[in-house]
Amino acid sequence: MLNTVGRILTRTVWAAVCASVFLLTSPVHADDSAEAFVQGILDEAEPILELDDQAAFFDGIEELVDKYVDMRRVGFFVLGQYARQMSDAQKEEYFPLFEKYATRIYQNTLSDYAGQKLNVTSSVDRSERDIIVNSKIANPVPGDPLADAVFHWRVYRNRDGEMFIFDAGANDVWLAIEQQSQFKSVIANNGGGETGIKALIDQLRDQVGG
Amino acid sequence: MDAKQLTAALAAIFMLSAATGHAQMTEAGDPSDFVEDLKRGEADTTEGADSDPWEGFNRKMFAVNKVIDDGFLVPSAKVYRAVTHKKQRKGLRNLLANARTPIILINDLLQGEFKRAGETASRFVVNTTIGFGGMGDPAERMGIPQHSEDFGQTLAVWGAPSGPYLFLPFFGPSSIRDGFGAAVDTAADPVIWLRTDAARYTRFSRAGATALALREPLIEPLADIEANSLDYYASLRSFYMQARKREIANGRTNFEDLPDIGDFDEFDEIE
Repeated sequence: MLNTVGRILTRTVWAAVCASVFLLTSPVHADDSAEAFVQGILDEAEPILELDDQAAFFDGIEELVDKYVDMRRVGFFVLGQYARQMSDAQKEEYFPLFEKYATRIYQNTLSDYAGQKLNVTSSVDRSERDIIVNSKIANPVPGDPLADAVFHWRVYRNRDGEMFIFDAGANDVWLAIEQQSQFKSVIANNGGGETGIKALIDQLRDQVGG
Repeated sequence: MDAKQLTAALAAIFMLSAATGHAQMTEAGDPSDFVEDLKRGEADTTEGADSDPWEGFNRKMFAVNKVIDDGFLVPSAKVYRAVTHKKQRKGLRNLLANARTPIILINDLLQGEFKRAGETASRFVVNTTIGFGGMGDPAERMGIPQHSEDFGQTLAVWGAPSGPYLFLPFFGPSSIRDGFGAAVDTAADPVIWLRTDAARYTRFSRAGATALALREPLIEPLADIEANSLDYYASLRSFYMQARKREIANGRTNFEDLPDIGDFDEFDEIE
């Protein structure tokens, strides 16, 4: 009896070991369509990043952000657990302000890469609907500190198969994650719940001047 | 400036720090809140990437640091930028980085990163010789890239948890583990233990030079972050925690650790 139990246990352990070895050695899946989606945006961004006129540059980035970033989803994400506590009236106030705020962050961040051309280098599927696409500067000047930097784009694929940008980052530092940290902190430090959310909306309004 | 003047200057900064610290604490509430903050931290069960159980204490220290930064460090860094050429500043950064190489090498070895230890040793030899004592970085051009290591990262590789986030004036963002690691790295430096005038001069001038060399390139980036953030403290905390994770992983990215976008059904419901 004990021998039988022992044999079953041994077989189970072996099966588990084989399964984990298989999982560990399986290649991380890339996603060609997400890579093509991001490369398309980067190609569209190239002439905008070359613009010298700041107003035209900001307008161009705003247009790209409007077209490709899923602001509503990001807007919910950055609220963390407070997303569910927002009243309908607060949502109406919050989303236009958040969109302005997040667009400004994209404009300021991308202005650091003026004149650069980015090319997609790889991608990793976190899930079928959550894909990380990596890119690098196409022709870096030798010694450029950005030469080895990896720029990430987090792509969200909705139920209909449409793709949107959810987040952007460089060398593993992500914008929406940083925004979530701030927003949750503002809400929590102002009493949490709807009161905290109201304080966040007020601060956003002050910040974007709307 | 001789060693005595430097000592006096640093003492003045510490006095300023203590004075502003007291002012900030009084403004923020009873100074005895510090112990309460720490106690509250122990009871805090916040999980996740931004776990900061000592937030009350850290924010006070952050405010102290801000006063020192705005009143002393940034103006000094601006003067430093005005009186030096870009190449000179790069030379100083290289020199300071080269002086840190032995510490990096020890930590490479303690982490079992022998290839990286080889790179560190090669960089030290190349830059100290044909790089004029470390002013230049010919090793980089030879394809031996620079990387950073410290004892905090070694402890992380050994499995030590980071412990609470910790912000201290002068030292900036850290954690209990990384703060302890920094103390060990400092203690491993022979110059710390020597009691000669030359060693004292080296200590102070290197500390001053390091502060300026680190702060100068960050004048605009940090000003931008502050101008664009709703909560500058939380913003820096997040940037630090995200970047630190990458440093510990030696650049080997693991996207599995990212927070989920959200439960898709739940989001669809909200919409």
